[in-house]
Amino acid sequence: MRLLANKLSGKVIQNINSTFSGGGVAEILQRMVPLLIELGVDARWSVIKGDMPFFEVTKKIHNTLHGRPDQFTQQDISIFNETSRKNIEEHNLVGDIIFVHDPQPVALVERKKELGKKWLWRCHIDISKPNEEVWDFLQPWVLQYDAAVFSAPAFSRPLSIRQFFISPSIDPLSDKNKELSRDTIDAVLAKYKIPNDKPIILQVSRFDYLKDPVGVIQAFQQVKRSIACRLVLAGGTAADDPESDKVLAEVMEKAGGDPDIHVLLIPSGSDIEINAMQRAASIVLQKSLKEGFALTVSEALWKEKAVVASAVGGIPLQVQNKFTGLLSHGIEGTAYAIRQLLGNPEYAKWLGKNGKEHVRNNFLITRHLKEYMLLFLSLDRPEDVIYL
Amino acid sequence: MNAALSWPSERWPEVIIPVAVFIAALIATLWLRRVSYKALTRWAEKTKWQGDDILLQATRGASVLWCIMVSAALGLAVSSVQSRWKWKDLSGDGLWTLLVLSLALTAFNLADQLIPQYGEKFQFSQRTVRLTGTIVKAFIIVIGILLVLEIWGVPTSPILLVVALVVLIAALAFRETLPNLLAGFQLSTTEQVKVGDYIKLETGEEGYVRTIDWRMTQIEGLDQSTIFIPNRKLIQTTVINYGRPIKKAKEAFRFYDRLHLKELTGLKAKNLRELADILKNAPDSIVYYHTHNFLEEHHYLTPEPANDFALWVNDVLGDVVLGERLASIDAFEFPNLRALSERLVNVMEERLSSGGEFRQATEGREFYFVKSVSVILPTPYIAHDLREFLESLRKLSLGSLYYHIFESRLRLQKATNDFSVWLEQSLDEPELADEIAKFDPYTFTLEGTKSQLIQLIEKRLK
Repeated sequence: MRLLANKLSGKVIQNINSTFSGGGVAEILQRMVPLLIELGVDARWSVIKGDMPFFEVTKKIHNTLHGRPDQFTQQDISIFNETSRKNIEEHNLVGDIIFVHDPQPVALVERKKELGKKWLWRCHIDISKPNEEVWDFLQPWVLQYDAAVFSAPAFSRPLSIRQFFISPSIDPLSDKNKELSRDTIDAVLAKYKIPNDKPIILQVSRFDYLKDPVGVIQAFQQVKRSIACRLVLAGGTAADDPESDKVLAEVMEKAGGDPDIHVLLIPSGSDIEINAMQRAASIVLQKSLKEGFALTVSEALWKEKAVVASAVGGIPLQVQNKFTGLLSHGIEGTAYAIRQLLGNPEYAKWLGKNGKEHVRNNFLITRHLKEYMLLFLSLDRPEDVIYL
Repeated sequence: MNAALSWPSERWPEVIIPVAVFIAALIATLWLRRVSYKALTRWAEKTKWQGDDILLQATRGASVLWCIMVSAALGLAVSSVQSRWKWKDLSGDGLWTLLVLSLALTAFNLADQLIPQYGEKFQFSQRTVRLTGTIVKAFIIVIGILLVLEIWGVPTSPILLVVALVVLIAALAFRETLPNLLAGFQLSTTEQVKVGDYIKLETGEEGYVRTIDWRMTQIEGLDQSTIFIPNRKLIQTTVINYGRPIKKAKEAFRFYDRLHLKELTGLKAKNLRELADILKNAPDSIVYYHTHNFLEEHHYLTPEPANDFALWVNDVLGDVVLGERLASIDAFEFPNLRALSERLVNVMEERLSSGGEFRQATEGREFYFVKSVSVILPTPYIAHDLREFLESLRKLSLGSLYYHIFESRLRLQKATNDFSVWLEQSLDEPELADEIAKFDPYTFTLEGTKSQLIQLIEKRLK
């Protein structure tokens, strides 16, 4: 890695996204940027400015790119263009390689003609079946980039620019993934008043329709009829997601007063708490309807947990069905998989062990860093075999 | 005055006889010396031992002094001249002084010649040889001076005290160095470790011994790094000595590492027909990715990895029979990726022509064609012989092994793998090259392949 970093000597890599905290992108950059700097790469990170109406529009863009039907109005376009214009004028672009994450700052590429430089668009979401109207709105900007990067092959679509496939990753030494003592785990359970008397089924995700927390409750209610267990829905809200409060309210309503369902609003940065809950759980769910990559799955696999997850987005890359976890396609399938695992703890353990090995080999931050550096180095090299 | 002048004329026989004896003895001893040296030189030339040559050379100058001393002693012995100055005593002291000086000169010459010769034999560094020579010669000079002073009755105790003090100060100053110096002598005399040997310490350091200095032993690692080990540590620790380098390669083998990026092509197949059609025209980089990706990502799981086509046909299209046929295609049998791709397409076409119902992939589970972009970069490991090759192989990353074994053969279209090519062409090891070429890496995990290669080379080295 040092050799690759040396080859990047003298180049400034500027990462740009919409928030410093909340959500998978900020989480990756929080780990990635310091590590690149540690390796000697001049990596920087800046965020664009935006008000609540802008983030409501970008949330709509996010959802509709995932294929969720919605109206993309002329007013939305005006809000997006207005904020983008301000950012284009004001954002300090200093990188030799400008690495733009997700659709919010996508329009910054308008300054490519003026500045030159290499421009990369990192798309963390699945745009394989987007709302065409929204995609047509964004595409002219995307095509100005030198290359685009996706988290899974299925997320991409035919584009006239080069496209790369780089999976995201987890940092095994971070607070979210490091080993914890039994005392710490018990203390966290006590703090959130979760009794450790029954197997815990956990889903960690933002309160977002695409994570289907209501579907999780329905699956849990089916399982609970025959097997005693608890459900923990732990999540937070991101600064760029104004919809999460509404979803949280719906989840609370669906949970009713069931004492076995724990809906926890965990503040951003509570990594030890999330880690402890994942380690306390018997089964970790990721019942998303649409997904980017779902780093929560890698986190759970790293902790040797049996995972039940939807076969969407980047999840099948992490969960090899019946080998590193179980894939499901609906509420009934999810309930069935949970019952299978609760009834066969040895099978669940075996899946967990395989899962950890799979993450060790393919989804740790070291591999991710290496691939980013290779990407930066290969931008000027169109050949299939590059000698450095 | 007159008496003084008349003394020789009166007592000339007392003078002339000893002088005559001295001259006659000198001629005789010099002649004897010349004859003896001629005979001894001829004899010394015939022996293999160089010590006799050095001894003759070292005593050549001193032996002239010895002839003079013997002759003078004989002259004195026959002289009857008496004097109130006891000149015979003075002459005797002079002769003793000459003897001491001649012996010191001989020892000095011996040290001057023997130390460099034995230093070279034991492969001490020049610095060590020079230092040892200087110390020994200084010691000889000091002893010589002390003996001469003793002969002339000059008190030597204060000088001895000064010498002892100097030795003590030197011992204190070199208290760290001295054990290393002695250890260096021990290493050299016992020949446990010699310059040129390949050694490995229990603490993990390893490499070729380049010099054994009076303080340190210098080792050169395979990554060209230099390790300095104090001699004392070297004799105290467990050392595996692999001995001297073996047959050198005509050209060194440079190990490369291989990393890769996955580039998306935008191509996807929903059914078997589309899969076969796209694969027919797919570039090698796509074929390579989908026939080797599973092996790379799951190298720890299975020694017989399937290709992506077989997995997709099996899991998504549910065609177990075709999946099995595609999985059984052994990439090792094909000389290049084009041939492998044609075989895969042929099997798919056979299935398509057999008719029946063909399932469509559900949305999101289509086959996405990805191409592999390989990035090759040099490692610090270079092998000049088989032992260096083996030691580098032990440290090699799996990516590097992957590059030299899989990628070089199919993707870069070399006749076999890189290792076999080098072993045959540069190291003249055709049998070992052939054994490795015949070895099917697809039937082992990457770790298993590495361990098999190590075993083959270890066997050859034995």
